[in-house]
Amino acid sequence: MASREIVRYRSPLRSVLQGLSVLFLIFFFVWTVLPLLIMVVSSFKDLLDAFQLPEVGDFGGVGVMFDFEPTGAHYVELFTEKHFGTYLRNSLIASLGSAAVSVSLGSMAAYALSRAEFRGKRDLLFWIISTRMAPVVAVMVPLYVIFRSSGLVGTLPGLILAYTTFNLPFAIWILKGFFDNVPYAIEEAAQCDGCTRWQAFRLIIPLVAPGLGAFIVLCVLFGWNDFLFATIIGSGGAKTLPVATAELVQPVKIQWGMIMAAGVVTTVPMMFLGLLIRRYLVAGLTMGAVRE
Amino acid sequence: MASVTITDVWKYYGKTMAVKELNLEIRNNEFMCILGPSGCGKSSTLRMLAGLEFISSGDIYFDDVRVNDLPPRDRDIAMVFENYALYPHKTVYENMANPLKLRRTPKQEIERRVRRAAEILEIEPLLDRKPVELSGGQKQRTAIGRAIVREPKVFLFDEPIAHLDAKLRSHMRGELKHLQRDLETTTVYVTHDQLEGMSMADRIAVMHEGVLQQLGTPEEIYNHPTNEFVAGFVGEPPMNFLDCTLERTNVGLTVVHAGFRLALSEQQASLLTAGGAEADVRIGIRPDNIAIEPGADGALEVPGEIFVTEPLGGDMVVEVTIGGDRVTVKSKIGPMGGPGDPCRIGFAVDKLHVFDKTSGVAYF
Ligand SMILES: Nc1ncnc2c1ncn2[C@@H]1O[C@H](COP(=O)(O)OP(=O)(O)O)[C@@H](O)[C@H]1O
Ligand SMILES: [Mg+2]
Repeated sequence: MASREIVRYRSPLRSVLQGLSVLFLIFFFVWTVLPLLIMVVSSFKDLLDAFQLPEVGDFGGVGVMFDFEPTGAHYVELFTEKHFGTYLRNSLIASLGSAAVSVSLGSMAAYALSRAEFRGKRDLLFWIISTRMAPVVAVMVPLYVIFRSSGLVGTLPGLILAYTTFNLPFAIWILKGFFDNVPYAIEEAAQCDGCTRWQAFRLIIPLVAPGLGAFIVLCVLFGWNDFLFATIIGSGGAKTLPVATAELVQPVKIQWGMIMAAGVVTTVPMMFLGLLIRRYLVAGLTMGAVRE
Repeated sequence: MASVTITDVWKYYGKTMAVKELNLEIRNNEFMCILGPSGCGKSSTLRMLAGLEFISSGDIYFDDVRVNDLPPRDRDIAMVFENYALYPHKTVYENMANPLKLRRTPKQEIERRVRRAAEILEIEPLLDRKPVELSGGQKQRTAIGRAIVREPKVFLFDEPIAHLDAKLRSHMRGELKHLQRDLETTTVYVTHDQLEGMSMADRIAVMHEGVLQQLGTPEEIYNHPTNEFVAGFVGEPPMNFLDCTLERTNVGLTVVHAGFRLALSEQQASLLTAGGAEADVRIGIRPDNIAIEPGADGALEVPGEIFVTEPLGGDMVVEVTIGGDRVTVKSKIGPMGGPGDPCRIGFAVDKLHVFDKTSGVAYF
């Protein structure tokens, strides 16, 4: 195999472009990381410190932003008075629950669609993905009516079901691609070894683990970040973090510190999820040996 | 250990016919080779034996048990696939242990059997590696190892060494044959390489376009092919075929070609008469059964002109033009002259084959 090295030739244009790309990356880094930084820092400030800002254009005065006595009061208040513990739990159950349901059902459906040949398969596949094409708002009203008459409004199962309606078609579509890349001969070998069809399916699951991992992240993120379903269908008994955070915004005396703390509580679990799943995503790159 | 009986088996993929009315009996502990060109239905046959493919019609028996409706796991077979089909995420050891684990074999017993198989196949140092880290030959040994760790009723091999390089292939031919004799297990071996069939099998079933052409020992297949296809498929370099006419003379039958006349023996003549041969026939003769000497005035009966010579170390293959046709001759290497030089060749008439011109069926 040829080496994967990218051959570079020096030229003046190339150095200019290189300089520009470094500048761009610096700008991009500041652009994406600064809001997060401000959020984390502000969540530890009390109300007065939060408004200690340098004059516009006074870059030397940035220090005042970091000149404060850190306080954990906002976090304490969130979890004691504002019941964020419950909302955190709701968010976790709704997003992880939907991810679990979508991935387990989705992988089985994707497997079947990848392995079996039958009339109308292409149409079925298109129908599955087309259910995902409609914008969320478009189905919101009918969905709400259905959910209300089945008593699912304001319950966690209702929220899980709502997320799953959107995650499942996506799961089937993406995972089918991963199953298509696993040679059927491996399952045939497994069957000759003494596996049932079901055991053979389970045996190849590690080979699509990168796909499953990536997909779990996408499903969890969809549920975790969702606001629309959570306000309408989850309202009441199944309030999640984004909705609860939004409710902290009051007409007067906005509690910025607490809102920032809520932001941190919402963001941190997803960062951990990213770290946790990274191993599987990277494994996907080395598992390329499946083909051949 | 089992005998395998295939009766009237057909295989269709949609409208494509892959196997036509196959009847074949594989004896207990026999090494049976299914030989034929690509697309002739070899794999389909093997996969029906394995239970990986539905049987369109007909029956397959292992001993006296009809296995048509048994899934692979209940047939007690072990199969080695063309592209090895190892489990990429498992080590060599785990790959080989899998069939035993599925049968709930005790741990020490698994260990013992895997080590033993690895020892036979000389892959002990590789047991902890993953398939990605193996060469083609090592992957293939692992795949074989996975098959031999247990004692199945039947081994099924689908071109297991087709993707190895020539030298390793010839080595593996010997190894596999030895292994099969050692393990004493009924084996069905599919290949498109006639050399593999000839060198390893107890009996060969030659297939062409889904139809079984001939079943016999390698010796029978080589020396007494039943039709032109089998005759041309087996042997290297392949048999020469020439369009000729039969002429009745006062001594018997003579084969007439633009470049030569060959008087047939009495026995050959009677076989042709009994078979109802027409005047137009095709004769076949193997390159080894033609003698050649350089120069225009040797003792051999047919004059020819050298088209090209291919020295192959100890032997040489010479293509000779006679009467507008070209024949391939194989002889010991020696001074032969170059393209355009005259030579003389002689046919071993007792090794001649005669085929019907339209049906290709052999008279002898
Ligand atoms: N899954 C399949 N679907 C459709 N046609 C197939 C399939 N498998 C094999 N065939 C056809 O059946 C014929 C025999 O194939 P196969 O048994 O694989 O031949 P071989 O192993 O001798 O090369 C071929 O014409 C091939 O195109
Ligand atoms: Mg094949």
